[in-house]
Amino acid sequence: MDAGLRTRLEWTARFRAAIRDYFSRHGYAEVETPILAPFLIPEPAIEVFRTEFVPSKGRGPELYLAPSPELWMKRLIAQGSGSIFQISRSFRNGDCDSPLHNPEFDLLEYYTVGGSYLDSIAVTEGLFSHLLAAVDPKKPAGRLSPPFLRMTMAEGFERLAGIDLAACQETTALVRAGQARGLAFSGEPTWEEAFHIVFLSLVEPSLPREKPLVLMDYPALVPTTARRKPATPWAERWELYIDGVEIANCYSEQTDPEALQRLFADETQRKRLARVPHRTDDALPRIVASGPADVSGAALGVDRLAAVFLDEPGIGGVILYPFSTMMPPHPGTT
Amino acid sequence: MIKASDVTKGTFVLINNQPHMCVEREYVNPGKGSAFVRLRLKNVKTGSVQRQTNKVQDNMEEVSVEFRDVQYLYGDDESFHFMDTRTYDQFQIAVEGEEEKRGFLKDGEVYQVVFWESRPLDIKLPTKMVFTVAQAEKAERGDTVSGATKTITCETGLKVKVPLFIKQGDRILINTETLEYQERVNA
Repeated sequence: MDAGLRTRLEWTARFRAAIRDYFSRHGYAEVETPILAPFLIPEPAIEVFRTEFVPSKGRGPELYLAPSPELWMKRLIAQGSGSIFQISRSFRNGDCDSPLHNPEFDLLEYYTVGGSYLDSIAVTEGLFSHLLAAVDPKKPAGRLSPPFLRMTMAEGFERLAGIDLAACQETTALVRAGQARGLAFSGEPTWEEAFHIVFLSLVEPSLPREKPLVLMDYPALVPTTARRKPATPWAERWELYIDGVEIANCYSEQTDPEALQRLFADETQRKRLARVPHRTDDALPRIVASGPADVSGAALGVDRLAAVFLDEPGIGGVILYPFSTMMPPHPGTT
Repeated sequence: MIKASDVTKGTFVLINNQPHMCVEREYVNPGKGSAFVRLRLKNVKTGSVQRQTNKVQDNMEEVSVEFRDVQYLYGDDESFHFMDTRTYDQFQIAVEGEEEKRGFLKDGEVYQVVFWESRPLDIKLPTKMVFTVAQAEKAERGDTVSGATKTITCETGLKVKVPLFIKQGDRILINTETLEYQERVNA
């Protein structure tokens, strides 16, 4: 027996069991939803895997490997499931040439019924405390232990890029502010593109790293299913960063059917540029509206979190057979 | 034209009419909105490095460059003079902006030069090169502290910090990127 491999397998099993144990103890029911889906939520930045069902007679429907379990978990909540969680194998096509991406990976999603994005921060801090007690991290526990740092996106732009984001709600103002700090913008960027160019160039690389950081209140102009923070230009959304790497994403979920329908229509339009088009889940806005009004949903990359606990530089060190290493050097090579 | 998503380490692109080489590339997909690549691009002429974030679908102007083996003939105040080892054509590269290369150029030695549209752009130095010590002060008595160094001058005029036991006439291996002494190669 390979003792090193065995130790690693046992650590991973303990880590996953501890995640499940934490949510079960806190009133979340574990669910398992389909990976094969006949339609998906339109997300223009995500390329998907397409496959087909082949019945013995006639032609079957096109199917897709779900890039997240969101569409099913939101249905369960609308049907009255209460708070739920799932560790789901998820699939994303396209570029993966970075130590943080693999076409298939494990996503932990947890939905808190009656909660907001602020409640989900406490839930996530609780998860970290539980994991630190249950498994030995190689990274010093002090650097991972709650409370997390908190910073709003407006503070991040002010402190790290010297830009007043609230005053740059027009694309030209944001582009000009970025250009004044030496950034180049090609073509005619949308506001969301200009925001991400400034964020990825000046803000994200300089985020504090001494503790996990909750970067909160994203601009409402970045299209997501997050609810708008009343009377502000911000959305009730946060992302968790550890050592500058995004680990989790959370929203107070939008449950207004008209806002969701508008978002789905715009995103379906933008999705036309995708290399792998897919059918859209048109029913979801109506279904979500029929459920509870207040729900907070968080998605956390399990492989990335395990890599953080093991102080590995990328997820290649925690996935057993990373995509890049299992592919033969040339098509058809055995 | 090349898509920003296809730019990888070593790709040459034109930015503001100046050829740049990609020295680092990171794919970033924030998940919501668009996907991006974060690039570090080195201006081949000035050596300055700039960071740039591009949408993956952005078009960039690709530069096809050619690497040629050339022999260094001599240098004067304005130019370094080379000869193409295949065609025997002679050409010059302006010293301006390349001054720091002078100490690494040895008469008669073969180097690689990057050409773009028949224009020589950049001299590629091997990562490690051997030089002969032309001038070295003798280590003084009492200079026995471990790790102590002295500065010597190589045959090209290059000044390098070396251990005290190195003497005039020794051949030494130097890292051309860090200007660090690696080892003595007398044998």
